[in-house]
Amino acid sequence: MDAFWIIVTGFLVASSTGMLGNLLLLRRMSMMGDALSHAVLPGIVIAYLISGSRASVPLFLGAIIMGVVTTLLIQFFSSKGKMQADAAMGTVFTFLFAVGVILVTKYAGQADIDADCVLHGEIAFVPLQTSSFLGLGVPAPVWTLLILLGIIQLVFWVGYKGWLLTSFNGEYAKSIGIKTAIWHYTLMAATSVATVVSFESVGAILVIAFLVVPAATAYLITDNLKRMTLYILAQGLVSAVLGYFLSEWVGGSISGSMAVASFLLFAVSFVWSKKRGLKSPL
Amino acid sequence: MRYVALATLLLGGVSGAVGSFNFLRKKTLVGETVAHSMLPGVLIAFLLSGVKNPYVLIIGAATSGWLSILLVDYITQQSKIKGDSALAIVLSSFFGFGIVLLTVIQSNYGGEQSGLDHYIFGNAAAMTPEDSTAFAWVSGLVLILVLSFYHSIKSVVFNLEYADAIGINVKFIDGLISFITILSISVGIKAVGIVMMSALLIIPPTAARFWTNRLVRLLLLSGFFGALAGWLGAFVSYSQVSMPTGPWTIVIISLIAFISMLFAPKRGVIYQRWSKLLLKRRINEENLLKTAVQNEVRGLGKLFNRRSISQRQFFEQRLWNRTVRRLRRKGLIKKVHTGFTLSTEGRSYGAEIDRRHKIWEIYLQRRMQMSINLVHDEAETMEHFLTPEIEAEILGELGLCSRFNPLLEIHELVPDNLVNAL
Repeated sequence: MDAFWIIVTGFLVASSTGMLGNLLLLRRMSMMGDALSHAVLPGIVIAYLISGSRASVPLFLGAIIMGVVTTLLIQFFSSKGKMQADAAMGTVFTFLFAVGVILVTKYAGQADIDADCVLHGEIAFVPLQTSSFLGLGVPAPVWTLLILLGIIQLVFWVGYKGWLLTSFNGEYAKSIGIKTAIWHYTLMAATSVATVVSFESVGAILVIAFLVVPAATAYLITDNLKRMTLYILAQGLVSAVLGYFLSEWVGGSISGSMAVASFLLFAVSFVWSKKRGLKSPL
Repeated sequence: MRYVALATLLLGGVSGAVGSFNFLRKKTLVGETVAHSMLPGVLIAFLLSGVKNPYVLIIGAATSGWLSILLVDYITQQSKIKGDSALAIVLSSFFGFGIVLLTVIQSNYGGEQSGLDHYIFGNAAAMTPEDSTAFAWVSGLVLILVLSFYHSIKSVVFNLEYADAIGINVKFIDGLISFITILSISVGIKAVGIVMMSALLIIPPTAARFWTNRLVRLLLLSGFFGALAGWLGAFVSYSQVSMPTGPWTIVIISLIAFISMLFAPKRGVIYQRWSKLLLKRRINEENLLKTAVQNEVRGLGKLFNRRSISQRQFFEQRLWNRTVRRLRRKGLIKKVHTGFTLSTEGRSYGAEIDRRHKIWEIYLQRRMQMSINLVHDEAETMEHFLTPEIEAEILGELGLCSRFNPLLEIHELVPDNLVNAL
């Protein structure tokens, strides 16, 4: 049963973050996902310290605030401070992450988190915190992730037209009066929340694997956004299953193995797309 | 303690200087991917050799860093995946693989593996004299490489096409920059950690860029900032129990960057704000003086107030008050009981602005063949920026006498004259 819940968790993380990674990829902001997943750390720690618990609501608030703050800071550094865009991003997220790690080290005892947990999370502990539902012991993180997946699907499909327009042709979207900034910040906030929710199970750094790799795998196979989302879900499922058995086999970190499995799937689709000669520039 | 501090200082200096090259090529995030990708390399080197010899681990790290760069290039060249996504994919996959290896090693090896996890967050305190010697060797190697290929690197960093055209082996230099980047990251990860290493390449040049426009100074300053942060970071992590070196180094170097961004002369935010404010003030003052002079010339009298000026050049009440206060302080205008009047200096200043305005209008019409309807707006801006040198040049170009005074000669009727002529 543990194996089942671990795989479900991995699938839920991959599929919910993958949907966002999809948009990040199309907007050429994949490294922004990396930046956000690092930068939310101080938000998480401060939320832990203030609320004194691992309750979800303060964590989400902390994450959303940090996500938007990070985006604003990068914006400020590059426009007002005239830093070049990549350097502004690199400076902001490494600084915030460093602050987060220092806070973790300093308050490790009180907040019941440590540097290792920050790093690779522990998906193996997921089945330990169960609550009963219809006679099934459903782990608490699964609930949270299910809700997250629901919200992300809702945001994605309700705003589908907007996402499509702003992702593929931002200039055009702007010219017909769409407020691209709102979409941008929504995506940033959603990515931060997804990072935080996933962080307990896969850690702050590996989230990027779940954000970008499924989306990239799907992107190589199809040009159709709707079909891409479907492939992302499939990719998430297969890499969760594969990753779990890989980790059983070698006896290593589960989330790390899922990242490796995910990359293997990417490699397969890479070779496949190369064979078919799919190199069309978008 | 002394050699640890020396090593981190050296590391900060070298990576700061090396980072400048990537910074100028706008490829800073490559460092992030390379650093993360070194984890499996370090661990495989350990597995193969069974020892934690720094040189062996550095070679392992450098190899997997090199592979990651190759893989990123391969993915971007052979598929429609863009550069940043390729970076993220390679970073997360290598790092994930590294985490798997690390957990496997931790559960299968006893004491001899302890300390490998230092590679992730960095721990200068755990460094051995051997590590420091390795640092010194690598720093020396990087320094020699940079010095011996300095001019080629400079050309490639600033203008790739030009470098190619003058016969520099661009591919080789490109590889060289990657090589020294990988080298400095591979020695640095032990001290500051994989997660933080990229910051040591990105932030020092970012901070240094605010202070200088010259490559040599950028390299030196960036190296200095990096060294300072490395040394202070090692100090903090030494004096505080269980504080990791990496994060403190990054916090310190970030603070240096923030301070540079705010306070640097010329490029700093505060200086830029201030000079913008001064410019705005000057433009308002000049507009007011110019309009007052024009009113005099048009026979509207020597007295002026906000209303009479605003008919031609609108001034809001508060802006008016502030501008008038500054002009009075400078002695350019005087208050008389019903309004204001220009002082002698104020009059000649205003006339000068008006003169520049008209010279520019004439120039635009005659030389740039611009429509009469457009020249006024252009001249409204340029009148504040024409220097006496440019003015003299334009007059020569137009064949006008250097004492040309439109106030007397054509009396702001330039547009009308031409309209009539048409």
